Amino acid sequence: MGVASEKDASEAMKLCVFDLRRGQTEGQELDKILFFYPADLPLSTQLSVIGLSEGLVTFTRIFSPEAPCEVIEAERHSHVFYEAEPDIWMVMVVEKESEAIWRVDALRRVLKEVHTLFVMFHGSARALVDRDPSGGLVRTHLYYFIMDFLSAFEKRSPLEYCCWDFSIGTKLQLPNFRDSLKERGTLQMLTVGREAAIEVQSLVAVLESCAGDTLCYSLTMFQDLLVSTNLSPIDTVNLFTYAVLRLTPLALSHGASSWSHSRKADTACNTSTGALLLNSGPAAEQYYNSSDASPLLRHNYPLVRPLQHSKWSKGKDGFLTTDIWGRDVNSLVPTCPTIWLRQTEEKMYILAYQHRGLTVILLIPVSSVSGEQGIAMLKQQILENASLKMLKVEERLSRGWGGENAYHVSGYRYLLVDGDRYISRASPPGKVTTLTKVSNFYFS
Amino acid sequence: MIGEASSSSHSCFSGSNALSHVYIQYPPLRCHVPGSRSLFYDDGNKLILSLTSNQVFSWKTAPYDPNVAPSSDPIREGPVLSIRYSLDLKLLGIQRSSHEIQIWNKESGDTFSQKCRPESESILGFFWTDSPTCDIVFVKTSGLELYSYNNESRNLHLVQTKKLSISWYIYTHESRLVVLASGMQCKTLTGYQLSSAGIIRLPKFEIVMAKPQANNNPSLAAEDVHIITAYGRIYCLQFDRVAMLLHCYRFYRDAVVQQGSLPVYSNRIDVSVVDNVLLVHQVEAKVVIIYDLFADSLSPISAPLPLFLRGFSRANIASTQTASKASGTSESDLSDTEVTIYGDQWDFLVPDLVCDISNGYLWKINLDLEAISASSSEVQLILEFLQRRKLEAEKAKQLCLAITRTIILERRPVPVVAMIMDVLLTAYSHAIKTGSYYKRIRAEETSQSGASNVNKPKPAVNDSTTGIDASGKFIKQGSESGTENESYTRSNVPTSDPDGSLILNSSLPDPSIGSERGYLLEPGTSGGEDLPAGPSQILGSGNNQSNSNVSERHQNQVTSSPATSPADLYSSVFAQVEEEMARDGSYLVAIIVEFLRSASLEKLKVHPSTYVLMVQILARDERYAQLGTFIMNKIIEPSKEVALQLLESGRQNLQIRKLGLDMLRQLLLHHDYVLLLVQDGFYLEALRYARKNKVNTVRPSLFLEAAYASKDPQHLAAVLRFFSDFIPGFSSSSDHHMYRRIAAEMAS
Repeated sequence: MGVASEKDASEAMKLCVFDLRRGQTEGQELDKILFFYPADLPLSTQLSVIGLSEGLVTFTRIFSPEAPCEVIEAERHSHVFYEAEPDIWMVMVVEKESEAIWRVDALRRVLKEVHTLFVMFHGSARALVDRDPSGGLVRTHLYYFIMDFLSAFEKRSPLEYCCWDFSIGTKLQLPNFRDSLKERGTLQMLTVGREAAIEVQSLVAVLESCAGDTLCYSLTMFQDLLVSTNLSPIDTVNLFTYAVLRLTPLALSHGASSWSHSRKADTACNTSTGALLLNSGPAAEQYYNSSDASPLLRHNYPLVRPLQHSKWSKGKDGFLTTDIWGRDVNSLVPTCPTIWLRQTEEKMYILAYQHRGLTVILLIPVSSVSGEQGIAMLKQQILENASLKMLKVEERLSRGWGGENAYHVSGYRYLLVDGDRYISRASPPGKVTTLTKVSNFYFS
Repeated sequence: MIGEASSSSHSCFSGSNALSHVYIQYPPLRCHVPGSRSLFYDDGNKLILSLTSNQVFSWKTAPYDPNVAPSSDPIREGPVLSIRYSLDLKLLGIQRSSHEIQIWNKESGDTFSQKCRPESESILGFFWTDSPTCDIVFVKTSGLELYSYNNESRNLHLVQTKKLSISWYIYTHESRLVVLASGMQCKTLTGYQLSSAGIIRLPKFEIVMAKPQANNNPSLAAEDVHIITAYGRIYCLQFDRVAMLLHCYRFYRDAVVQQGSLPVYSNRIDVSVVDNVLLVHQVEAKVVIIYDLFADSLSPISAPLPLFLRGFSRANIASTQTASKASGTSESDLSDTEVTIYGDQWDFLVPDLVCDISNGYLWKINLDLEAISASSSEVQLILEFLQRRKLEAEKAKQLCLAITRTIILERRPVPVVAMIMDVLLTAYSHAIKTGSYYKRIRAEETSQSGASNVNKPKPAVNDSTTGIDASGKFIKQGSESGTENESYTRSNVPTSDPDGSLILNSSLPDPSIGSERGYLLEPGTSGGEDLPAGPSQILGSGNNQSNSNVSERHQNQVTSSPATSPADLYSSVFAQVEEEMARDGSYLVAIIVEFLRSASLEKLKVHPSTYVLMVQILARDERYAQLGTFIMNKIIEPSKEVALQLLESGRQNLQIRKLGLDMLRQLLLHHDYVLLLVQDGFYLEALRYARKNKVNTVRPSLFLEAAYASKDPQHLAAVLRFFSDFIPGFSSSSDHHMYRRIAAEMAS
């Protein structure tokens, strides 16, 4: 990954997050900016992008107060707007290339996905702004989160589209008509027979009973496909998206193989922190020279970068572990990851167990477990009560699974979306590239 | 174990004493007649015989009925060493001395004697058999002599002899097995099985006994060896008085295998088998220990507890006294004599009777399933135990259901309940495969229709049996009755081992099915017709269920299998606990999922009401996502009931309602689907669908009303036009006129 390629990407796309409630006085405009990509763009350019966006939002609000503008098509650029939270806007500016026709809706979904994932891990941006009115907290979180989200994998081959990172090779790969037979924000389900489905439900019941009386949730996946969950639809989509990005066997193996490259990506990120400094006020100086998160920790900003690559690994006991959430001060045991549920606004521990293709994610309310010790006990219980069952379920599912091309319909490229249930199914990515026949069926 | 929720189903159980697992029920069968000299038990015919100087009185003991009236036959005076009726009850054999056996033909009144050479041998005993080659077997000190009875010449022909020096023998008709002891210490045992399939010689085997002292070799006594049958297997139990152990041997066709030893806590013991359960009576300790030999496990079912005399109270005595006076029997009353449990005069009869010789009482030993199940915390074991019970199948079934209910109400961990579901449904599927479950249904059918039920859909395995059951009556003695036994045993002993064990699957009657009943109920003997109905008779009639074609008694509550069907589990467990579990829907759903898993493993069909219940619970808890998954994966199988429940529950959630509509459509319930569309106001879509799927059962007026309600004259006109075009004669109907007018008014 060279500087030049970085530049390529920056020319192709700009992404910014700004808060309309900030910096409303003359001379304070920089305060609005919560995030800007590429970060090394001159401040004046950043400000002009945000100024234009703000102007458009304010203007269109006159006519449509509830739903201001969604997209502005300029001669050479498209501006995609997404109001993630009240007065917090995300704007993506993409260059119109001759051959690329952007699916604006898909781009909006990218923005939405970034935001919902962010909220899942950090809570709402507004809450972060309120906690630290200087804006340092939310900027730091947003910066690392979105950079991780966009960060590149050099080694990603075109056949591995299924991992949803955007940077393919050296260029940010955004969804366009040509190659994106997938619908962001939907689930890909595994089709299972009745008996297997009952086995899975039986396993789920056992897992949930391990947590005792507390209401907990689970999400069962096979390879990159969802098998069962009892989460609300919106939380399911979020957690599923994250799992496909970082937790499934495929994601884990990518993480392992591209370990060295992701290191490079990290440093690449850090080289560009400079831009952040300029507009983030006094707090920014604290992490100007930071090569890792430690200075932030000193300032009570426990920096968590859940989208960091290759941070998850499978432990000996079958549970997936990561030190993203830091380590316990007294022991080397990593802190158990937590997320926020959108539906119930509860903070939950994530416990992920993996056996071959099967990944089971269990969510337990933080309030009901007594810290790391409780988690360890729970893990023990799961191993005792459910590991055999998971073995059986995995065996049964893999017996019934037709491989990654199972849902291929020969001669066709298709994308099937069930908008009611947030489910989609598409031709397998491997097949999509080899097919020349353009027979797209869009149902939405 | 028995929770409050189960109280409704418990009314039928009589109060049980928690301090005993085995009981005898008052009143006993009184087999005492004035002037009687001695009592004999004819186990071939299950008769208790009492002798006076010139008469023999006999009481049927199976089915057991304490009020059964004796029948009597005259006999000649003289000493009687043993006495047995032939299996068709036409001949009476009396051993007069160690050299002479008299045989009296009841029909002709002839008597003849069979004697042996007194100088060289003596007769140890005799018994009748249903073997095809011989009718009666004499056991002599020199060996076995097998005779057949010739009807015409009316005497015995020697068929075969088996030479062997015999010290003593034991025989039970139940096992058709005679065990002969020979050798200095009588420790060498030889067995012959004389069944309707022929004669099988079992390998000789040696009993090893502990020696009290170095030079003292005790000899084995006949009373220390017992033959028992359980689950169609034959065991030999040998009491080692020195080691205080009861050694257990199992007979196979080609081997005798020692199974282990049971501890003994008394110098005098005896054994009974009730419903395939082994009871070891520790007579001196006055307790009984229960073993279930099914899984070859030699651990007791529960702790040693005394035998309990049930229903014995002053009030009871008074009533039975009047009753007995009314019925004209004058016998000594229990009020005068104390009932001594495990008295010295108690004689244990095969398999489950005990005779108090001094008082002339015959008791039947019963298991208190309720107490047994209440005393064990091993739910899985106790359910398996109950599922193997046949004598009190209905009670065992109710207990199983009650236990399951309690377990669920106690919120035991899901895996525990899953295990229970596995046990119950495996047993049920087994009962269906072997046909024993359908026995009950058949009994009900025959008692209602009395006709043959061959046409009824039944598992193929069982149809042939049914045919014999329903039409065969009771075939005459001899080889033919053997075939009947065969079919009985095949279909009714699910426990029959495929390992070549000596289970006598050709002739060995399962005690609970009791093909001997065939002999007992032989028309001509005063039979079961006088069996009174009443709570105390459930056992008796239960024992008799397969004979419903012979004696048309009401037997609706009778069953031969405690198996709980999925429908039973729904109605007696899920539906009942559902209310109390209202706050814990997810637990109950988890339980039902386990139930479905077990059912699908056994390929059993689940009643739609179970699915309806699941939909109700999930919708009530607003777990719509999960409900959706269940429907999509067909964990909840589609049915009209489920679809309607989805529509009902879907009032709060459109997704769920849509699932219900989809299900209706998938089930091709076009009529209901169209009706619902109309009700929801989608009358145009309903029309399109009706046209496409040729639904013409929905009244046009419904569509017209819906169109009218939408206040769109064009739509109304379109609907009118649709019906005029596609329904012949619609233009002349009153609907047409009325709505045409309305449409015109609306348009104007």
